[in-house]
Amino acid sequence: MSATAWAWLVLLLPLLGSVVISLGFRAMPARVAGAIGTAAIGLAFLCAVAALLNLLGDEPESRHHASTLWTYASAGGLDVDLGIYVDQLSTFMILVVTGVSTLIHLYSFGYMRSDEGYHRFFAYLNFFVFSMLLLVLAGNFVLLTVGWAFVGFASYALISFWYRRSTATKAGMKAFVINVVGDIGLVLAAFLIFRELGSFDYATVFEQAPEVFSQGEWTITAICLLLLVGAFAKSAQIPFHTWLPDAMEGPTPVSSLIHAATMVTAGVYLIARTNVLFYLAPTAADIAAFVGLATLLVAGTIAIAMTDLKRAIAYSTMSQIGYMIMGVSIGAYSAGLFHLMTHAFFKALLFMAAGSIISAMANRQDIDRMSGFWKAMRFTSLMLLIGGLALAAFPLTSGFFSKDSILAYAELRGGMYAWMAIGGYVGAFLTALYTFRLIFRVLPGRPCEEAQHLIDTGELYHGPAINPANEEEEDADVGFPGAHHHIAEQSWPMAVAMALLGFGALFAGLVQVPGVDNVLFGFLEPAFHDSPLAEIHPSVGAEWRGLAIGAAISLLGIATAWLLWARSPGLPAAFRQRFSPLYELAVNKWYFDEAIDFLIVRPALAIGRFANSTFERFVVDGLVSGTKETVAGASGLVRVVQSGFVRSYALLLIAGFAGLALYFLLSAS
Amino acid sequence: MTNSLLWTPLIFGLAGLVVPKRLIGWWVMLGTAVTLGIAIALLAGFDSGTPGLQEAYDASWIPGLGVRYSLGIDGLNVFLVLLTAVVWLGGTAFAALREQERPHLFFLMMLLGETATLGAFVAQDLLLFVLFFDLMLVPFYFLFGAWGSDREGGPTASAATLKMIVYTLIGSLLMLVAAIATAIIAADGGQISFSIAELAQDPIGEGSQRWIFWFFAAAFLVKMPAFLLHGWMPDAYRAAPLPVLAVFSGVLAKVGAYGFLRVVLPLFPDATIQFQEVVLVIALASILYGSVMAFTQTNVRLIGGYSSVAQLGFITAGIFALRADGADGAVLQMVNHGLVVAPLFIIVAILAERSGSEDLREMGGMAMRAPVLAALFLIVTLATLAMPGSANFVGEFYILNGLFQEKIVFAFVAISGVAMSAYYALRLYQRTMHNRRPEGIETREIGLRDGIVLVPLVACIVGLALYPQLVLKRTDRSVQEAVAAVQPERAAARIAIGSGELQGER
Repeated sequence: MSATAWAWLVLLLPLLGSVVISLGFRAMPARVAGAIGTAAIGLAFLCAVAALLNLLGDEPESRHHASTLWTYASAGGLDVDLGIYVDQLSTFMILVVTGVSTLIHLYSFGYMRSDEGYHRFFAYLNFFVFSMLLLVLAGNFVLLTVGWAFVGFASYALISFWYRRSTATKAGMKAFVINVVGDIGLVLAAFLIFRELGSFDYATVFEQAPEVFSQGEWTITAICLLLLVGAFAKSAQIPFHTWLPDAMEGPTPVSSLIHAATMVTAGVYLIARTNVLFYLAPTAADIAAFVGLATLLVAGTIAIAMTDLKRAIAYSTMSQIGYMIMGVSIGAYSAGLFHLMTHAFFKALLFMAAGSIISAMANRQDIDRMSGFWKAMRFTSLMLLIGGLALAAFPLTSGFFSKDSILAYAELRGGMYAWMAIGGYVGAFLTALYTFRLIFRVLPGRPCEEAQHLIDTGELYHGPAINPANEEEEDADVGFPGAHHHIAEQSWPMAVAMALLGFGALFAGLVQVPGVDNVLFGFLEPAFHDSPLAEIHPSVGAEWRGLAIGAAISLLGIATAWLLWARSPGLPAAFRQRFSPLYELAVNKWYFDEAIDFLIVRPALAIGRFANSTFERFVVDGLVSGTKETVAGASGLVRVVQSGFVRSYALLLIAGFAGLALYFLLSAS
Repeated sequence: MTNSLLWTPLIFGLAGLVVPKRLIGWWVMLGTAVTLGIAIALLAGFDSGTPGLQEAYDASWIPGLGVRYSLGIDGLNVFLVLLTAVVWLGGTAFAALREQERPHLFFLMMLLGETATLGAFVAQDLLLFVLFFDLMLVPFYFLFGAWGSDREGGPTASAATLKMIVYTLIGSLLMLVAAIATAIIAADGGQISFSIAELAQDPIGEGSQRWIFWFFAAAFLVKMPAFLLHGWMPDAYRAAPLPVLAVFSGVLAKVGAYGFLRVVLPLFPDATIQFQEVVLVIALASILYGSVMAFTQTNVRLIGGYSSVAQLGFITAGIFALRADGADGAVLQMVNHGLVVAPLFIIVAILAERSGSEDLREMGGMAMRAPVLAALFLIVTLATLAMPGSANFVGEFYILNGLFQEKIVFAFVAISGVAMSAYYALRLYQRTMHNRRPEGIETREIGLRDGIVLVPLVACIVGLALYPQLVLKRTDRSVQEAVAAVQPERAAARIAIGSGELQGER
């Protein structure tokens, strides 16, 4: 079988899983649904491996294949095929997506075991994976948009999974609408591409773009900026990021899968995929890089102030995606994707560990209440630590190699980009700081009430069923986090998934050690041969110098965190007092929600209210039937006609004809 | 076959008067099913390669006035005919499986409505088109007025109906005048003909086109309804019985949009080009206003109603992009919108039964024991908001692409309606199916009786989503011809010929 045939199978299996679970939910026991869902993704992973092996059989330069199933739409000169494009980039993406998703399905198998909506959960989860695979395999911009929007919908469905919680439905709506804005950016970009190049097909577009556009032309810049709207909305970059922290309302495996490992990396993939276009639009690429940098710094500062365990990790995700966006925008394509892969491992792992702890806390996510989990949950704590080390780029972990390969590239490009590298190092310090803040708050110390309960009885603590976000009583019908919970120590699927991810988080960086091996970059690079930026390579010496700086910063960050939150816990409070405006800014998330509310939501609602209460009544209705007073007052001429209807319609007719007559009089002259 | 398609519903309706009361529901379902069968046969025999009319039927009717009884199918109407048959079967079946007051009369009116609508779609004679267009009013006048219900805070059903009738009647009368004027001017003292094809061959002078254009446009824009002419819509929608509303909103609104493609573009090409931007502004206003209104409404019917205003705005914009892709998208979108709105109102009917209210604020949490209903509703919702992957997306994509290539600024404004549709459609779904369940609301699964209506309709949505080319392939040829008349080159050629003739006369 060819690589494309395997790729079609990769797409088909999750879709099939989702459809089978949806249609058969009455007939199958919950565990079967979970098994089908997990198996579907697992098989898809195997198919992805087969596609990879197949691709490796080709010459490196000809490792790209297109394949079409049927004509999706073709009329009026606009043609769209149901086609996929398999090359090194999409193969890499499907491997990461299916690989991590398999483990997350496995984790969910345990974590969601006693949830009311078990079938629904796995149907959605499989559909999500299908959508993500469609996004990365699509062979044209229209199908890309389809995958793009499906991912947004799946995310909505999973965020508001516990749909009787008003916080969850609100968060889902927010995510969906912001994602639709991103879709619109993509659609407009596609229109503009079509106008200039007459096609939506990747192969045609990327081949013709360098001939049609000259570098820096405004059309190509506009195209890239519109693509960026899509990328930023999906990848939670400023100012389209506000949905991501709220998305933590979803079950933790969802946070792990969608909001850490896969969906949010779609923007990174998009920029890498359209690298030819971004090379032609350096301004757009620089804007993207700056936004990435700004996001990574802003999110880093917010993460330090967050007291909600999951939200803090969510801001960390934003920040890490900022690195990737910056990387692929300045031309470090392979490095950006490298970080995408390692981040998928360690961030998924961090969320899983956090989920396990939150379960033990009876759904409380507030780190102020947590302490001493090292004694209560050894395995989970170890995994949290591993994930944290990789995130903080501790020497020789996976995050260490991937983050620094982006920054080394930026440094090499020099000028403005070197300053970006410095910004990136500041971000790295923040990363180590907030990561180990969480770890020092949660793991060591005297066990908190919930942890002590677990140590004493071996059972999980159960609190009152109340939504901590708004103090609403939970609705047991649909299920909610906390009704039943499972921790990794008591559930083998969760433990296996976490152990495998932990292995990846520690050692995945070894595929790409400067001067030692070049497995990943060697495979990926031919996919970017159209962009001269991909030819730039830092020397081995420069890379190791960067790694040394990175190691020092990481250790410094961890040490600072230890000083602040372990050794002298009074210090942070003192800092808060001293720098209270800064703290306020961070803890209020830089007021982005308020700004959007003020600039967009309120005006829109005000217009709606005005339209409803005033315009509709006085203009639309008044135009015809009118209120008695206006009609009566307006004209004594028609008062002889008694019926209100006849009266007003006569008025309309006269007015209409008068208007028409006036028009023709004016246009005649 | 077109002829039998047209009269089958009415014949079944009339024959139904003597059918016993307990069987009448099954009888009318049979009638609409037979009509659907004929429509499917028409589609199966349809040749997407041939230009012009197929299955045409042509007979002299009023020879003195040059009016012919002329019917035919082409790419513009073949799917609208099918849509009519599908939606009418769905709406009628939903009503037939429930108790109705005076069922014989009710169903006679329903079926008369189907014949009139089909007539408006297949008529190829201008006067015949106008007559069927007006005939559509009659059954719905009775259906809304006699079977509708008075609503709190709104006028009575009969007042609401009267308002609707007067609105549409004014449009219709203008159109009648315009149709006659067109034929007389075109005849220029010779033999009068109302044949749309003949009139299109040699359009009337530009000056006459200008005012006649607006007479037709008025009728069509009221029917849709478009912004500022939609005053009848909220009251009528509040009053209408829901199964009737399903067919009304699903199909009748499209007759207006279809009229632009069938009559206005070919017959008044110069005026169309001249007023393109004016109509686009109206369309855009409909999109924005409809969307804004839809997300502030709490009455579930009105959310559907205002979203239709917005959707018809998209369709109009697609037609008035005056490009093949925009118009292709418009035709596809007419079909899509009909397929989406009909099940939407049926679902609204089901939800209203369960909650005893049609107000969003009094609904919620109904998904729990009704996963099938929730799933069906979700699919309808996603199609309504033109989720990429649905045929509605393809339709909107074609429309907006046409608009984008022609008038880029308009496209940017129009596309903001897409974001708003995401919000109002999802809001409708969330507020009814999700969140807390207020006291006294049942959450229970739909039974076979409703499933048998809803599932096939939703299956149509899904099927079209997978293969929108089914429609596009068959409409493209006719659409190309319809928009060919309004291309600038053609218009320039017409002017050149016209001035040439003038010079010749001198």
